Amino acid sequence: MNQSATENVYLPKIAVLDRVVSEIPEVKTFYWRFEDPAEQQAFQHFRPGQFAQVSLYGVGEFPTSLPPSPTEDETFFTVRQVGSCTSALHQLKAGDKFAVRGPYGNGFPMEEYYGKNLVFVAGGIGLIPLRSCIVYALKNRDKYQRIQIFHGAKTPKELMYAPALHEWEQTPGVECYLTVDRAADGWAGNVGVVGTLFKKPGVQLPVENTVAFVCGPPIMFRFVIKDLLEMGFQERNIVSTLERYMKCGVGKCGHCCIGVAYVCVDGPVFTYEQIKKLGEDI
Amino acid sequence: MKARILHRADVLKIVDLLRQQGYEVLAPFCGRGRDTCFEPVTDQNRDQIQIHLPNPYYPPKRFVFPHIERLMKFERDNGAIRIEPVYEEGKRAIFGIRSCDVAGIYHLDRFYLGRDFRDIYYENHRKNLFLVNMVCTDVERDINDECFCVCADTGPAAHDHFDLQLMDMGEEFMAVAGTPAGEALFADPIFRKGTDAHIAKRHTILDDVRKRFKTTTSWFSATVRYVSQGDILEKTWEEIGNRCLECGGCTYVCPACTCFTVSDRQVGPNEFERVRIWDACALSGFTRMAGGFNPRKAVHDRRNRRFFRKLAHYFIQRELSMACVGCGRCAAVCHGDIGMPSVVEMIRRATAEMDKNEPVSH
Repeated sequence: MNQSATENVYLPKIAVLDRVVSEIPEVKTFYWRFEDPAEQQAFQHFRPGQFAQVSLYGVGEFPTSLPPSPTEDETFFTVRQVGSCTSALHQLKAGDKFAVRGPYGNGFPMEEYYGKNLVFVAGGIGLIPLRSCIVYALKNRDKYQRIQIFHGAKTPKELMYAPALHEWEQTPGVECYLTVDRAADGWAGNVGVVGTLFKKPGVQLPVENTVAFVCGPPIMFRFVIKDLLEMGFQERNIVSTLERYMKCGVGKCGHCCIGVAYVCVDGPVFTYEQIKKLGEDI
Repeated sequence: MKARILHRADVLKIVDLLRQQGYEVLAPFCGRGRDTCFEPVTDQNRDQIQIHLPNPYYPPKRFVFPHIERLMKFERDNGAIRIEPVYEEGKRAIFGIRSCDVAGIYHLDRFYLGRDFRDIYYENHRKNLFLVNMVCTDVERDINDECFCVCADTGPAAHDHFDLQLMDMGEEFMAVAGTPAGEALFADPIFRKGTDAHIAKRHTILDDVRKRFKTTTSWFSATVRYVSQGDILEKTWEEIGNRCLECGGCTYVCPACTCFTVSDRQVGPNEFERVRIWDACALSGFTRMAGGFNPRKAVHDRRNRRFFRKLAHYFIQRELSMACVGCGRCAAVCHGDIGMPSVVEMIRRATAEMDKNEPVSH
């Protein structure tokens, strides 16, 4: 057997929590950095759409997407409190330690999309993984044609990354459309599921030379895909990122395997053409 | 590959030689009843090593991929956390590993040491492992009703991936070296050169043994094709799923299953350890996410998953090895009779049924 020194891919590195920002109910953003600056520097080279494994002392480890763009200086996770690990993370305060390993997965091939129109469709916390691509695209604005952002939430209070949304709404060259399922708090914008935005007067989605990023709950995903296909989008020009139960993140534990794909190493980013062939519910 | 001949009375001296070289030797022993198991060899039990016996249900896979394995320790001290990996390194030899299980370990090599990431824990066990393969020649004891290595092309004599292979020829054994480490053993005077007659006898024995298998799933390769193409009816998977009791036993005894879960457990007031534990795709929680969504809830989806992962051409090509080695253990332990040979048979029958409905016209 080969005696060469192998890196321990399961070994997380210590990270320190800088600060916590509440986003929407049950969802917080955790700004952190590695204790070891060399680790931090190595980690910064992630691609939009990749993910990391986060370890909480005494609880366990969970996979989470990377909402920052590699063009940003700060590293952070935006996490909804759902299970034991995410609840433990929500208990942490600035200065607390946890551990991180990654980045993992294929990520979105943002360079391949140079010269194209980008359409982002995010439902609820589906905006978390897409935030990375949006910020990356805006940083490299001249590399892309039109940029459209469609974001829907249940209520106005649940619109993700509200300050960023307002900024994108004001940014020239970005078309940002928001909608909520139920209006409240003096909401004057669109009411309805995210797909209703596509049919609004004045909204026109480019279909040719366009990549559509779709991320959100399963029901939203199905309807948006249907809408996009009806508009004439090619299945290979619709991309998404899948979520699965994962233990290792490196293609060994087997939990995230769908069809022939290990979501952690072959994904989590797939085109709709690929997703259809995997043959499992999204 | 170089071959040598040794006397029957000297066979266990190979165990002694390996122990002298610092190997912990694991060998097959009889337990109670039909039970057989691999156990560490000691001065006391050395003479009870069994050359021929039914292959133990608990596969020797555990010597490279333990059922429960410590990965790392987490220590907390005044808010600081220290993480220390835990490595186990020791020279181990498996004496009497069957050809199907040699293929199983090769499959694990391809899986854990292949693709983008190498598994250091597996590698640490594997790099110091010496395999003494015993060819199945005793048709009464070595081969049971469920064995189908002849169909999986892994036995009765492994082609490769062992260090040393032994074959019972009656008063003599033939030893074949698969690696330089195996060949180095031939320096011992118990080994002598063979003749053409020995080679001829080997072929005669193997020809005879190959005919003595009771389970010959000649449809194995056709099943691979049907599974790979997704041509198997949902109804057939449902029939298979209906018979699954969701015990996970097939996975537990499988020498080629690789899935594991990871768990953190407390071992001291300020100390946790992270362990990995064998997991099974038969179990409903295998794909359940924190929010409760389970993409593979139905039992037949999970059965489908197991056989797809084992038989799909895509994986066979990627790993250059099939995740079923024909050992027949799943068939022996399954209470619902949906071990691999039965599933192949159910798929064959279902396809015959489909053929009947095929519209044929003049």
